[in-house]
Amino acid sequence: MKSTRRSFLKGVGAGVFCLTLGQLGFDLGEAKAYAGSLKIEGAKEVISVCPFCSVCCQVIAYVRDGKLVSTEGDPDFPVNEGALCAKGAALYSMYTNDHRLKKPMYRAPNSDKWVEKDWDWTLKQIARRVKDARDKDMILKNGKGQTVNRLESIFWMGTSHASNEECAVIHQALRGLGVVHMDHQARV
Amino acid sequence: MPKTFLIDTTRCTACRGCQLACKEWHDLPANETKQTGSHQNPPDLNPNNLKIVRFREHLDKDGVVVWNFFPDQCRHCLEPPCKGQADTSVEGAMIQDEKTGAVLATEKTAQLSEEDAQSVIEACPYNIPRLDKKTKRLTKCDMCFDRVSAGMQPICVKTCPTGTMAFGEREDMLNMARNRLETVLKEFPKAFLADYKDVNVIYLLAEEKEHYYEYAAS
Repeated sequence: MKSTRRSFLKGVGAGVFCLTLGQLGFDLGEAKAYAGSLKIEGAKEVISVCPFCSVCCQVIAYVRDGKLVSTEGDPDFPVNEGALCAKGAALYSMYTNDHRLKKPMYRAPNSDKWVEKDWDWTLKQIARRVKDARDKDMILKNGKGQTVNRLESIFWMGTSHASNEECAVIHQALRGLGVVHMDHQARV
Repeated sequence: MPKTFLIDTTRCTACRGCQLACKEWHDLPANETKQTGSHQNPPDLNPNNLKIVRFREHLDKDGVVVWNFFPDQCRHCLEPPCKGQADTSVEGAMIQDEKTGAVLATEKTAQLSEEDAQSVIEACPYNIPRLDKKTKRLTKCDMCFDRVSAGMQPICVKTCPTGTMAFGEREDMLNMARNRLETVLKEFPKAFLADYKDVNVIYLLAEEKEHYYEYAAS
């Protein structure tokens, strides 16, 4: 349709207020086609927590047919108010990344290969090695003859997401073994 | 009135949440990059990064390092020169949405000859569009047009944890920009709103554009 300024004004004068942009000659289809469908449309919103640091930003995980389709910050959570840093913003990639570990991996001493192992074997190995290391390296007294009961050859890597109660249990277990080196993943 | 972004660089800490969120929303893969001595990574916009945070540092008159961050993206110009240029060869390759002001590179950009695509890239005063050699399409920020059409904020704005980015009606954003500039001027007397009359992505810069990026303002 051809529209001059004059005919446009006439149209308005005649009470045609709802003249759409389409009638003026803009092709609205193109922009609409570009938008396509929203990838989270109809997906279920599941609240989750970013696993990276102790700020514990809350995220909304969008799930469709049992599959994660997108993640973003939860605007209703007072700590992050919908915001996320670069690590939190990349949560979806952490889920889809082919580097993600899903089973225990084992690299033997001096080997350059990782081998997949089951949990049973892995947990037994950990228990065995903790016991052996402790039996071998436990320091009962220091140079001055004072009792220290210290084990310096084991390091505990925890998580910033452990709750107060979990921290207490972990701490007691490790102190019980004499372990003095402990930290969590947000600082490495 | 179109939609407008306000990007207050004085609040940016270069966490790059926006950069990553953009990649995630648009399902863009990682780039293989090398350590070049800068935290700016990848070094430039590319078909997999429609938004990057640029880093630049200089010494002030007292010999103190000033480190500036510039979250670079398409400005969604009120009168986009890229669209004007593209229209001369393939109508509909670059379009501008009337309601939001979003400037969009459609799949028709693949019909542009390599030369014509280059002309479109060169028409941009801000050095934004990039040619995807695989799909032959021009790529750039699309204002998260799907999200904005559904009444949501662009993902970069939603993600920003420092309050650097805001998005809304142009009039509101202009008011916010003026208010913020007034405050920032007290600390940074050279602060200004880059090309705010011409663009829908308004940057508040604390000093000359050269201390951010050659194309930070036209």
